[in-house]
Order: sequence, then structure tokens, then C-alpha cells
Amino acid sequence: MSLAIETEKLVKIYGNGKSMVKALNSIDMKVPKASVFGLFGPNGSGKTTLISILVGLLLPTSGSARVLGFDATKHSVEIRRRVGLLPEGFGFYDHMTALENLTFLATLDGIPSDQRKKRALRALETVGLKDRADAKVSTFSRGMRQRLGIAQALLKDPELLIFDEPTVGIDPEGAAEFRNLVRRMNREGKTVMLSTHLLYEVGMICTHAAIIREGRLLVQGSVDELYQSVRKEKGFRYEIRVKPGSEIPLQEIRSMPSVVEITQSDNRVTILSKNDMGSSLFSLITKSPYKDLVESLTPVEPSWEEIYRFYQEGG
Amino acid sequence: MMKNAFSIARKEFTDTITSKRLWLIAGIFLLFSIASTYSTSFSFMIGGQQAVRPMAQIASTIASTMAYMAPLLGIALAFDAISGERERGTLRILLSRPIYREDVVNGKIISALAVIGLTIAVSSLASVSVSILLHKVAVTLDDVARICIFIVFSIVLSFAYYAFSLFISTFSNKSSHSLIISIGIWIFFAFILSIISSFVTIAVLGPPPTRAIAVFNRTRRGFGNFTSPGVPASELEEYLSYMRKAAEISSIIQAFSINYHYTQITDSLFGFAAGPLGFGQRERTIASIPTVLSTRLIDIIVLIVFPIVFLVASYMVFTKRQEK
Ligand SMILES: Nc1ncnc2c1ncn2[C@@H]1O[C@H](COP(=O)(O)OP(=O)(O)OP(=O)(O)O)[C@@H](O)[C@H]1O
Ligand SMILES: [Mg+2]
Repeated sequence: MSLAIETEKLVKIYGNGKSMVKALNSIDMKVPKASVFGLFGPNGSGKTTLISILVGLLLPTSGSARVLGFDATKHSVEIRRRVGLLPEGFGFYDHMTALENLTFLATLDGIPSDQRKKRALRALETVGLKDRADAKVSTFSRGMRQRLGIAQALLKDPELLIFDEPTVGIDPEGAAEFRNLVRRMNREGKTVMLSTHLLYEVGMICTHAAIIREGRLLVQGSVDELYQSVRKEKGFRYEIRVKPGSEIPLQEIRSMPSVVEITQSDNRVTILSKNDMGSSLFSLITKSPYKDLVESLTPVEPSWEEIYRFYQEGG
Repeated sequence: MMKNAFSIARKEFTDTITSKRLWLIAGIFLLFSIASTYSTSFSFMIGGQQAVRPMAQIASTIASTMAYMAPLLGIALAFDAISGERERGTLRILLSRPIYREDVVNGKIISALAVIGLTIAVSSLASVSVSILLHKVAVTLDDVARICIFIVFSIVLSFAYYAFSLFISTFSNKSSHSLIISIGIWIFFAFILSIISSFVTIAVLGPPPTRAIAVFNRTRRGFGNFTSPGVPASELEEYLSYMRKAAEISSIIQAFSINYHYTQITDSLFGFAAGPLGFGQRERTIASIPTVLSTRLIDIIVLIVFPIVFLVASYMVFTKRQEK
């Protein structure tokens, strides 16, 4: 597995003396190439600090970071040549139009002059702002500015995109479009890293995730791995949907060795088990009398709230 | 790579040239400088005498307006140069491009040099030519040369304030703070320091000899002629020696004021204008340009070193600073 981002014992301390804040505390993070990597953490956990170090806006106090094979302290310009960044708290030149802003930024991205406008328009189209290309940014709503922010990260068609809280201020429809955009870019083989404090966002688009709290990575890995490890600790959950108006006998399920708990409500039966019992449940419901009464059997994945709580309590 | 700095400079230049701020300052300068040539020429007419060099008289009047406007122009261009981008979040967007932090500062400086040079040259030439036409005075080649030198040092003065204000702007998170500090320093150099200087002069030398002031006022009417008939040479000597000592004290106190050094240069260049003391030396004759430049060498050096020091400081602060 080759890595797009790799940090080693990354430490960042702000201030000194009494006002000292350890924003990052020995972060070892690995972002695989072609993944959608979600960095989840509450406010003040160090997400922005970490991202800023990756692109060379901030210098680490100690430790190192490599992005696309370049050292973040020594060759940050090379990194920024290849990475599209949506920074936190960004702004645009209000007196200029969206297109003017993007063509100016495209100049600094090193895009040849005959392609700047084309690229800018394409980026605007991608974020759904093409019809506002010639409007001054001062007339933009918050969500439109956020879209423009995403557009400027796309200008150089980078192989790695880093978004710091990409969907703040964007309406649900826009957020869904953004997730589609991320999926599309991921299909093209691009790596996307995004930070968020919205748990459901991680679940919806990420292939990999890390949880950061108070400057420490609590866990990282593929989403499946995270699910799996939570299941191992907290048990496996399955849901059986029963046809409306009918009921299934529960004795047989209850007698299965690893079952911990069974809850029933309306036409839903939820089973919590110590071990993976998907296949034994499956063979059960294909037999009579179950097969005529059961509508479906689905494993219930732990919610991100559960995963987060689980790792917050120390794994 | 200077390419990025020039891209930034080009945008910056367009923004500034089309800004209300710049046109306001240039407009006020034109208005004040032309209007003030009227008041000087009026006082000449009352005095019933022609100035030794009418052109120099006009230029020195314009120079005294410039002494206020050039610093304000520099401050107006610099106070939010970095802090404004920081406040609006555009600095983050800029710095996430494949450029160096130096490119941002260089771009700003290149653009500022162009804007300051253009604004001061055009507005000085405009106000000088309008005044020449209005007052119908003859212009010699020497006058033209002096005006060019004046323009150069006005640009340096403006740029000195630009550099200082840029320095404040590089580490400031709020443009309002950097504006207040810059204006504060300007007020200190332009007004407060000369007030302090006169207090110290009076404290050290005592009040100026009263009869000498009367003598001075009498001689002043006959412009450029100190040896009025009927005034004893000893009293004149007493007055002149007081003035010399006062000028010495003032030059020590105001050594760090670029406004003072600038005024020293323009005073010698045009011969007339009163120094910040209000009763500074008045040279009867205008020294030749090489003499002016050589006697004012220290002032020239200070005026040039000041912006360099603050530019270097701005670089050091800005490139070392980290932006989250
Ligand atoms: N310039 C600074 N000086 C001092 N402390 C800072 C500075 N910037 C951030 N911090 C501190 O570092 C910690 C991490 O901040 P950071 O902005 O990286 O968090 P975050 O995860 O991005 O939060 P959010 O979700 O609110 O954006 C916080 O405790 C914050 O107070
Ligand atoms: Mg943040």
C-alpha cells in the first residue's frame, strides 16, 4: 500500500510558558493513496493544525510529515504544486468576480495563460457556480463562497485534495453534490483527505478514517477495520424484519451460544451477539417457519457515534 | 522566482490604481498644494517684493504640503497590505499556492513602488505646472532639476512610511491596529517631536531673546535681507547664534524623524521654507544642487536607510511567521 500522506511523531506546540498549547501530540498518520480519508475530531482537536503542517503553512515543533513523497518542512512548494487545499477560514477578493479570482489564483498555480480561463470555468461548473462566474464575490452567499473555495482547490487538477471542513455552510443538496464530487474524484484515482466534525459525513463517503482528540490520534484505519474492531468489543448486531402482522418464534435464536440480547419492536427484531453469527442466522431464516415470516436480515453497522464513543473511552 | 511576485504585483497595482483611497489622497494633495501657492504668492504681494526665485518659492510651498501627503500615501498603501489579506482569509488562499512567502511581500513592494512613484511624480508635476501657469513664473533648467530631485526624495519619504507601515502590517492581525500605530508614528514625527524639540530648546537655551525676535520680524519683511538698516550688528549676531544653537538641539532630537530629514533636504533645495521650528534658518541664497546634495548627505542617507531597515524587518517577520 503506497501512502499519499505519512506523518511521524508530529508535534505542534503553540505559544510558550503558561500559554503553551500542545495542539498535536505525536501524530503518526497514514493516508493511503486513492483513499477518501476522513479526519474526524471535535472543535479544537488539532485538525486544522495538522492540515496546515501538511502543506507547509505551519512548521511542526518536532516530528516529520511526508506528502506525496515530499518533506513538508523542506519541500512544501513541491507539495503545494500537487495538492489542492481548501483551508479553514479562507476568503476571496470581494471586489473581483468569481472568474477573476480563480484566474488570478490559476496564475499562481502555474497554469499556462491560455488554459487559465478554461480551467477556472470548469472548476466553477463542477461546483455549480458557472452562471455566477461574472458576479462579484461580494454578492455571494456563505454557501456560494464555500463552493468557490472548493473550486479553487480543483484548479490545478491535483492528485491529492485536502479539504478542511468542506461542507460548513453548504445546504444539504450542496453537501450531497460535494460527496458525489469526492466519490467521482476518488474513482479517477485521486486521494481525498477531509476533516470534519460531522460523524455522518465520515460514514457516507470515507474509505478510511482517523479520529483525533486533544492532539492525539485515537484510531485510524479503513472504515471496515474500524467497524470490525468496534464489533469485536461491543458485539455484532443484526436486524430481522418480520412481515407486517406476523411474529417469529425467538426461542431458537435465544438458545444460540453467542447471543447476548434480543429486543423486539413492531416488526423488527434486533439481535446482539458476542461473535459473528451472520451465516448461522442466515441459514436459520431460510428454514421454516422463518422463511415465510421474515422479510430481511441485515447486519447493523455500529453508528459513528458509537465508534467515536468507543474510541474516546479508550478503545 | 520573481514570476509569482510580478503576478501578485500586477493584481495589486490594478487594485490600488482603481481604489478610492489613492484618488482621494492625490486629489487632496493637488487641491492643497495649488491652494497654498496662492497664499504664499499673496503674502509676497503684501510684502511688495518679489522672491529671489519665484519658482523655488512655489516649489517649497508644494514641498511643505508634500511633507504631509507623502507619508499618508505610504501608510494608506501599506497598513492593510498584509493584515488585510490575513483578516479576509485571502492570505491563506494565496499561501496554499505553490509560491514562497517572499513572493507575497515582493509583489506588494513592487506594486507599491510603482504606485508611489507614479502618484508622487504625476501629482507633483501637475501641481507645479498648474501653479506655474497660474502665477506666470519663469522656469529655468535648474528649477526643473530641483523639482526632479524633490520628486525623488518625496518618493523615498513616502516609501519610508510604506516600509514602516508594512512592517507593522506583517505581524498585525488587525488592519485597524496597524493603521493606528502607523498614523501614531506619523503624528509623532510630523508634529509631536517638533513640539518636544521646541520645549527642550527653551528649557536648555531659555526663551529666545525678545529684541532679537523683533529684529527678526523686521528683517523678515524685506525677504532675504537680514541686514536691515538701523539694527545693531551685535543684536543680529545674538539672534543668529540663538538660532544656530536651537537648530543644533532640534537636529539632535529629531535625528530619527525622517520627516525632519526630508524637510532639511527640501529646505535647502528650495531655500525658503521654514523648518519645523517655525523660525528655522532662512538662507538668503539658494545653494547649487551639488552643494545641497553634499551638505545634506546625512539627511539623504537617513532617509534612504530608514525604509531599507523596515523592509528587511518586514521580510524577516513575514517569512518567519506561520499562518494556520
Ligand atoms: N495560533 C494559535 N495559538 C495558540 N493556540 C492555538 C492557535 N491555533 C490553534 N490553537 C490551539 O490548538 C488547538 C487545535 O486547534 P485547531 O484549530 O487545529 O483545531 P481544529 O480541530 O481545527 O478545530 P475546529 O474544529 O474548531 O476547526 C486548539 O486547542 C487551539 O486552541
Ligand atoms: Mg479547524
